[in-house]
Amino acid sequence: MTTSTDIRTQPAWRYLLDIRLRLWRRNLADFWAELRKHPVALIAGVVILIYILAALFAPQITAHDPERGSLRQRLIPPAWEEGGSWTYPLGTDGQGRDIYTRILFGARVSLAVGLLSVGISVIIGLALGAAAGYYRGRLDSILSRFADLLMAFPFLIFAIGVMAFMGPGFTNLILALTFKGWVEFFRLARGEVMAEKTREYVEAARVSGQSHTRIMLSEITPNIMQSIFVLATLRMGFMIVTEASLSFLGLGIQPPTPAWGSMVADGRNTLLNAWWVSTIPGLAIVFLVLAINLFGEGLRDILDPRLKIE
Amino acid sequence: MRTYRLLLIAILLGVTLTLSACATPTPQVVKETVVVKETVVVKEEVQVEVTKVVEKEVEKVVEVTATPVPGRQTLIVGLAGIPDSFDPADHRSRLSETVLRNMFDGLVTRDTTSGVHLELAESATLVDPTTYEFKLRQGVKFHDGSEMTADDVVFTFNRIIQENMIEYPDPHTSPRKGLIAPLASVEKVDDYTVRFILSAPWPPAMQMFVHQQIVPKAYLESVGTQGFVAHPIGVGPFKFVEGQLDDQIVMERFADYWGGAPDLGPSGPACVSTAIFRVIPEASTRVAALLAGEVDIIQAVPPDLVDVLAQTPGIVVKTAAGTQPKWMELNVNQAPLDNKLVRQALNHLIDKELIIEHLYGGRAAALPGALSPFNNFADPSLQPYPYNPERAAELLAEAGIADSDGDGKYEWNGAPWAFVVDSLEEHRALAEAVVAQLQEAGIDAQLRLWEYSVVKPLLQAGERSAYLDDWGDSAFDPVGHMEAKWHGVEAGSPYGRGNFSGYNNARVNELIKAGETETDVDARHALYNEAQALIYDEAPAVFLILPEEVEASSARVQNWEPASDSRVNLHDVCLQ
Amino acid sequence: MRLVKVIERLLAAIPIMLGVAVIVFVFMRMTPGDPVDIMMGQGGTVSEGEVERLRSEFNLDKPIHVQLGLFLSDLARGDLGNSFTKQQPVASLIGERLPATIELAFGSLFIGLLIAFPIGILSAVKQNSLLDRLSMGAAFLGISMPSFWLGIILILIFSVKLHWLPVQGRIDYDAGLQTVTGLYMLDSILTGNGPALISSLKHLILPSIALGSAVAAIVARVLRSSLLEILRSDYVKLARAKGAGETTVVMKHAVRNALIPTVTVVGLQVGVLLGGNMIVETVFSWPGLGRLVVEAIFNRDFPLVQGAVMVYAFIFVAANLVVDVLYTYLNPKIEM
Repeated sequence: MTTSTDIRTQPAWRYLLDIRLRLWRRNLADFWAELRKHPVALIAGVVILIYILAALFAPQITAHDPERGSLRQRLIPPAWEEGGSWTYPLGTDGQGRDIYTRILFGARVSLAVGLLSVGISVIIGLALGAAAGYYRGRLDSILSRFADLLMAFPFLIFAIGVMAFMGPGFTNLILALTFKGWVEFFRLARGEVMAEKTREYVEAARVSGQSHTRIMLSEITPNIMQSIFVLATLRMGFMIVTEASLSFLGLGIQPPTPAWGSMVADGRNTLLNAWWVSTIPGLAIVFLVLAINLFGEGLRDILDPRLKIE
Repeated sequence: MRTYRLLLIAILLGVTLTLSACATPTPQVVKETVVVKETVVVKEEVQVEVTKVVEKEVEKVVEVTATPVPGRQTLIVGLAGIPDSFDPADHRSRLSETVLRNMFDGLVTRDTTSGVHLELAESATLVDPTTYEFKLRQGVKFHDGSEMTADDVVFTFNRIIQENMIEYPDPHTSPRKGLIAPLASVEKVDDYTVRFILSAPWPPAMQMFVHQQIVPKAYLESVGTQGFVAHPIGVGPFKFVEGQLDDQIVMERFADYWGGAPDLGPSGPACVSTAIFRVIPEASTRVAALLAGEVDIIQAVPPDLVDVLAQTPGIVVKTAAGTQPKWMELNVNQAPLDNKLVRQALNHLIDKELIIEHLYGGRAAALPGALSPFNNFADPSLQPYPYNPERAAELLAEAGIADSDGDGKYEWNGAPWAFVVDSLEEHRALAEAVVAQLQEAGIDAQLRLWEYSVVKPLLQAGERSAYLDDWGDSAFDPVGHMEAKWHGVEAGSPYGRGNFSGYNNARVNELIKAGETETDVDARHALYNEAQALIYDEAPAVFLILPEEVEASSARVQNWEPASDSRVNLHDVCLQ
Repeated sequence: MRLVKVIERLLAAIPIMLGVAVIVFVFMRMTPGDPVDIMMGQGGTVSEGEVERLRSEFNLDKPIHVQLGLFLSDLARGDLGNSFTKQQPVASLIGERLPATIELAFGSLFIGLLIAFPIGILSAVKQNSLLDRLSMGAAFLGISMPSFWLGIILILIFSVKLHWLPVQGRIDYDAGLQTVTGLYMLDSILTGNGPALISSLKHLILPSIALGSAVAAIVARVLRSSLLEILRSDYVKLARAKGAGETTVVMKHAVRNALIPTVTVVGLQVGVLLGGNMIVETVFSWPGLGRLVVEAIFNRDFPLVQGAVMVYAFIFVAANLVVDVLYTYLNPKIEM
């Protein structure tokens, strides 16, 4: 990989931005061509886009309040079932709130949980992992020991413990998910950086007098971003599902905030007489996480040269 | 590609449809309860001091012996939680007692509708205000064949009230000591007579003795607590076979059972040959297990599933008066909640009937104040605060809270009136409904769910405003309950073990203290009535509701009634 | 791998277990929640004296560093302490529940591999075909839904509606199984108890699907991508050139090589399955360790949480070790 000289004089954040832009420009045409060869990833991408749009424009596409309902209107079935009405297209929940509205607003919560928990994990994991893999030595051994220690905690137990002690809520949930979530990115980044460090282009940059920080940011990071990105998509799906698992134990997001996980958990006792309360948000989770996972998988097929479609 | 997506959707929809298909059973007319009335025996009052407000006429089925019927003779009960111990002296959980009561008997027992009855005691006499004398039944056998005598009773109670009597796993004192705290000592008079010496007169003594079960002295001394919990032995209708507390506990009929409380149910050995308690904490699984025929009785049916189960052929739903009154305590030291008018207004703003009808399917009662309406000393003249938003608005206006800018929201001190309602996950549905009603009324109320152990220190520091929770009342007596909830805390902070409102009224305190030791029933009623009237008026809480205990069984289960204190009495139960 | 190395690795687990235990110890004592409060519940009266006495019984009245010292000295003697709420030694509580958790983990792993292997191999061989996409989509389905939801749906369909499989528990009460190891299926075989074997197998299926379907996706994608890579290698091309049939090439040459990265992932999943099953255990009333730990966390049963977390840490280290051993077996070129 070559580096244009003007970039070196810019502040670090511009580097990252620039790297992304360069990557995009270079790859966008390629990427699009590849993506069209991979219809599953394409469809998955479209599904994700729909979810994002639904989250963004939730207040515009529904007239109901996601957090308010009336007990007199509770457990009304979806419109197509007997007793349903188009006022509540997907029915109402145990508090008489419109499920369609809660699904739309819940998309905000679920996407935010996925993006934030993975985003923070990637930043921490990548920074520490790159530093550990590049500099090695004491820093590496301390960080790696700590990572090993955290790895030895089962993820869910760890998250349950943290949530139980801090109490349910959005911020606490993100904290609980990232406390341990960064470790996997740390290990991946560390390994990849160690491998990249021995490559010729790094040697070349060294010889040309670049500083370590610059090399890490401008030379190595772009090359390991692909694998980080693939792992990130997988973890994002996992985090969204974990929100639901924690809600099952009453450790999710505070009511009445609509979060799919707590909606599924809340409705599980009425599966026999009001299947829609739990099933509809459950399907919302399944479709989103499936789309994210299949998109990530397709992405890997496209990005990983070893798996190139012949 | 289209095929692929279509197939995926088809799979998911298939799952959904199958679900909705199995979700709606064909409605059928099925009788809710099966009660066979053969002979009606009017129960005689046996207790010395204890009276019980009998809800309805007591009708009892009395058979000479409960004859086992052919067919599967194993009865399986789905428990809603996990018992703590096999040792009747080493737990403080209701659920442990639920299970243990089938292997152990007490001196006295209780029936949901008719109060305390003699069990292992043949008679109970109050010799003087602080001395009870119990005559024991003769010929009562432990599961190992040895006979129960006064020594076992003395040993049982000494093991509870004396320090460090339980030696396994580390020497410690019974956590049940506090339940019979006024019991100072127990003396053997002769082989079948014991005397209980109290430190002060204690009116609810008999109610509290119900919760202590007799253990065999000789066996416990030879095998120790460790051996005892590995294989517990009592005098109850079932003997222990095997089991693990958080999985399943298997018991079989004890052929030499002495018979059981003569006032209650059939006497003689138990009807079913094997009884199993299975721990199924997840409500949806418990219901599924009943529907699949894997268990015969389940506890704690979620209110929303009551109708589904009641309409399912072969399933019977039964209820008992609840013992877990729920209220929202208001911090009386925090403005504007320090104003009685504001607290009364909040009581008028919650539509309890709407909540009961829709959230509980009618299976709950509105609380008429500080005590559950089923408490023996509840004042029947008190009526629940009616839902009356107009009255609330008047009261609030009087207290300086009004919708001054006409936006439909109340303002206080120049800003929108806002406070947080704290509660626990187990009360989620109720708390959400209450907060929604407050918001509907124009109060900016927000809900916050906590874990009890996390919120409790905050409550005790007086940092919270409104706290929605319950407080158990299974002894049907104000003692313990009134003292914990509504008695002012003298030392240190105004907030106590159960008093989260900081309520402290000198006269109420006096009345509660007097009620604890007053032995004259009428005088005691008078004391508690006055206290209840004061608490009702000062409203240190929004008095909410008392849900019923809802249990369900398969129709094969005969002669079973759920109990308010969640006891599952399997002695009387037969399988068809 | 030499035995010395294995022992060395096992010994390396000790500092990790200790570190984990100390972290949990400090963390639990710094956070709100009083175990004595929770124990006493609501009924009756609780005197100050009673609370104080319980505190001192549990050493909760002492400063944290003293408590930690006591904990570590007990640990040095191999004593994990006694549970606050259950009045039993932590070691025996964990010992009783561990077999159930292990059985469920292996059941789930089996189901996961059962789904993953055909899917992984087929989709690699038929890369980009409709079959590839369909099967990978199906593999990802399991990882895309909350396990408790899947579990309840499975129960409603296969137990309540169809009556094929039991709702909850590990075995029928009347199977008459004589426990030897606590792994019911193994015990049934050891004691030659046919009905017990069938009963425990039936009880194991649904929870294993609920837990194992998430594993399927992870294993299938690793298997698929490593196979794709290998199928293009010169080594396989050579085998093809030598005239070996496609099935032989795939099954004999490619799959064996693809197993190496797959085994790593599977090994890690064993750790995940053993430590991530509390939800499925709750839904299916499976009397395992996960449920016990969650309950202990809620009850602030400090010693029980500490002990269980140490067990998890050990399992994690051991699973990694097994992976490495298998690694050297599958690929003798690698030295540890």
